[in-house]
Amino acid sequence: MAAKVLDTTKNAVPFDRANVPGPKIAKAVKAEVAGKFISKAKRPLLIVGTAGGDDGVIDVVKSMAEKGIPVAATGNSIKRLKEEGIDATYVNLHALVSYLKDPNWKGFDGEGGYDTTIFLGHTYYYASQLMSTLKNFTKIKIISIDRHYHPNAQQSFGNLKPDDFLKALDVVVAQL
Amino acid sequence: MSIKKGRFTIENLENVQINIGSVVSSGKAEEKEIPKGLTPAPEIHELRDWDLKLLDRYEAAYSPVCDMCCYCTYGKCDLTGNKEGACGINMEAHQAREAMLRTLTGAAAHSGHGRHLLNNLIERFGADYPIDVGPSDIKAPLTQTIMGIKPETIGDFVPVLDYVEEQLTQLLATTHMGQEGSAIDFESKALHAGMVDHLGMEVSDIIQISCLDMPKSQEDAPLADVGMGIIDSTKPVLLCIGHNVAAVTYIMDYMEEHDLFDKIELVGLCCTAHDMTRVNDKAKIVGSVSKQLKYIRSGIPDLIIVDEQCVRADMMRETSKLHIPVIATNDKIMYGLPDRTKDDIDDIIRDLSSGDQPGALLFDYEKVGELAPKLVMKMAPIRKEKGITALPDDDEFKKLASSCTMCGACVIGCPQGLDIDKAMEAAAGGDLTLFEELHDKCVGCGRCEFDCPKSIPILNVIEKAAQKVIREEKGKVRTGRGQVGDPEIREEGVNLVLGTTPGIVAIVGCPNYPDGSRDIYDIAEEMLKRSYIVVTSGCSAMDIGMYKDDDGKTLYERYGGRFLKGNLLNTGSCVSNAHISATTIKVAAIFARRDINGNFEEIADYVMNRIGAVGLAWGAYSQKALSIGTGCNRLGIPVVLGPHGPKYRRAYLGKPYDKDKWNLFDARNGSVVNVEPAPEHMLISAETKAEVLPMLAKLCFRPGDNNLGRMIKLTHYIELSEKYLGALPDDWHVYVRSEADLPLAKREELLKKLEEEHGWKIDWDKKKILEGPARKVDVSFQPTNVLRLCKGASE
Repeated sequence: MAAKVLDTTKNAVPFDRANVPGPKIAKAVKAEVAGKFISKAKRPLLIVGTAGGDDGVIDVVKSMAEKGIPVAATGNSIKRLKEEGIDATYVNLHALVSYLKDPNWKGFDGEGGYDTTIFLGHTYYYASQLMSTLKNFTKIKIISIDRHYHPNAQQSFGNLKPDDFLKALDVVVAQL
Repeated sequence: MSIKKGRFTIENLENVQINIGSVVSSGKAEEKEIPKGLTPAPEIHELRDWDLKLLDRYEAAYSPVCDMCCYCTYGKCDLTGNKEGACGINMEAHQAREAMLRTLTGAAAHSGHGRHLLNNLIERFGADYPIDVGPSDIKAPLTQTIMGIKPETIGDFVPVLDYVEEQLTQLLATTHMGQEGSAIDFESKALHAGMVDHLGMEVSDIIQISCLDMPKSQEDAPLADVGMGIIDSTKPVLLCIGHNVAAVTYIMDYMEEHDLFDKIELVGLCCTAHDMTRVNDKAKIVGSVSKQLKYIRSGIPDLIIVDEQCVRADMMRETSKLHIPVIATNDKIMYGLPDRTKDDIDDIIRDLSSGDQPGALLFDYEKVGELAPKLVMKMAPIRKEKGITALPDDDEFKKLASSCTMCGACVIGCPQGLDIDKAMEAAAGGDLTLFEELHDKCVGCGRCEFDCPKSIPILNVIEKAAQKVIREEKGKVRTGRGQVGDPEIREEGVNLVLGTTPGIVAIVGCPNYPDGSRDIYDIAEEMLKRSYIVVTSGCSAMDIGMYKDDDGKTLYERYGGRFLKGNLLNTGSCVSNAHISATTIKVAAIFARRDINGNFEEIADYVMNRIGAVGLAWGAYSQKALSIGTGCNRLGIPVVLGPHGPKYRRAYLGKPYDKDKWNLFDARNGSVVNVEPAPEHMLISAETKAEVLPMLAKLCFRPGDNNLGRMIKLTHYIELSEKYLGALPDDWHVYVRSEADLPLAKREELLKKLEEEHGWKIDWDKKKILEGPARKVDVSFQPTNVLRLCKGASE
């Protein structure tokens, strides 16, 4: 029997059914495409929410950090990230999106802003609302590699089962 | 001699009535108090300069819910990417307008409530009825600060509400297409709406405290029972829902007069419940607004009285199925019901008890007072005989749980994204624990049911599965005490301004919590243990009382109710939030001897720079919560929202890295001082309890802190960060001005970090900081954002 092909573009409906923002919504992408998209970013920023510290997800965060992607730890993810030895900076997500849209913000390393934001491990509705700030008021690329479809991202997975989600993250990391 | 407003008949002139519209005395107009101050009863533009100062530092950050505008027939217009619509408005300004409109809606709800109550109380007690809020000379701090007048009677509030209503109308007019087009001016208008909201709330609560004999700054106000488990359903259960206690007071009076409190279980839900217990401590509180649909579905209420605000729109559909009559008592909610105000009480009882009519409008409160107890006693045996409940029995429950196909539609429909499907699967196998956990996280909206392809009444299933938990929901809440009294301010004001009391944390608002109501208890307990003054109100005040320690005591039983460090104060219902903002005004007036009359800008400037107060609306869902928060912001009080908060579309966020934004004047000479970012933000959200706790501590920093105060505040900020985020905060050093600011227990360790990690110069012999801080402590520093308040300076 052939192995089931992982398709992260299925079930691309807002996880909160009424969260339909308007004419411009995220393109549902395959995990390989998401990985390549991230790998092409010049100044990526991985934004990790509280669930980014969950088992399985944290390994992906660690791998991405080790690939040189700076990590912003939002919510209370910083505690778990530090325990795992991941180099991350705590920042409130609401404040962060405000800084990201400020052309004068120098970033966490003092080298300037970021061209691509990668969202992982967030409370769904919270991240969705704050992605809308980036979507409407910045040119920053927004890619969600979270478990649920995020219409306010530029690229997103569809709604995934937990196992498929972790497999998809592995595929993303493999592209970096 | 003065003639009261009212009606009279002139002899020999039959059928002639003359309505007297204003009070006169001895043939000449009564002397009206002349408003005092720089900006009494300010028009929209008059405090704009202050708003622009705030908005320069705390920029509005927008998070659109919808990328389109559909205000007029030019549209729909796609504003994605800050494009302009057909009228020329761009996304930014439209979002500012949307947020302002919500603020206005909230303000209108409070002041509409206030107007209704004022009319009722003037009719019952007379316009000359004196204000009595307890042992205070400053009886109406917000009114004095905004209006420049000092009311003495409830009638003195008539022009105050006239002002509020005029402002709300003018503000609403600006949302029409072709009016305001600037985001920053919409924000200034939103701040204005928030300010007048606090004024309207103050009026609402002061008049009811005065006339209805509610606790008056009473630190030991009685404890009331709260929780779905405290209701004695063997008695007829009369449930009152909403925010306006006017009609319910007649019911309570009738019940007292006829000794019915032993025979009828009188319970309330949402803020009406708070005010019922403030009037009569025999009343009980079912719980917050999130319990509403669940409690109705239980079938326990035999009669429901509704007034206004936070009452479910689907009330009649739900109650009709359960044969629960509904009496609507306020213009704002009429549900298409027939107006039976002029009908005979017996006829109304007959029609409602038979089920011929599902409910009635009744605007004569004397009739409501008599009808409600009679009707509920008639309904109870009828309903009990039929055993009416929406909850399934054990067999039905198993069938319903087993019929779930695990499609996940309910999870996608749930605003909290709760794993209902997993709980359903477990329940089908006989395991109820997931539903018992889910019950508290469920906000009781019922959206899941509309999405279930199997038409499972999911809310009923949750409630049935959680019966064991619900039976144990028995708590205590200290009834709303009203204002903080002047003597309490005299005692505590100095500690607050110097920072030796680390701050006021106001835990307020609705129960749309991200992870259940336990969080709100945990947050309150953590801050109380750290000697913060925790002030609460509304639904949050109820939920704080729902949990107990190992000795079975609630926080209200463990902590005092005085305005003092480490105390827990429940001010009361939603409108009593005004007393929280008013407390900061009282500190400015009593401790700092500032003239508050018509002097909003100066007082707000003082509050922002001196008083470490922060609001937390962890479960904010309503427009009122936004207007309360926005009103706090104009007064210089920062507010934190839970993760649903960005749905309000706008926050006010500081940029700690932009030093130019943190310049203040020293009022002694007008010199410019670059200060630490304090308070760092004015309106922000957080994702989790663990994130919000250190944030609350941080938002209590003020430029005016003395060394001891800063040391105490920094200690809590560092400890909370280490406890909940696992590390020292990255920015702790920003708040250090000298070694005396450092926590005593960690002084040496932190000095080492300052030297090694931040390059500061330390004199290790004296353990003193030689170089590094952005500024030094100056005990005489008088921080202000307003140049005109500086000696010898003019803006």
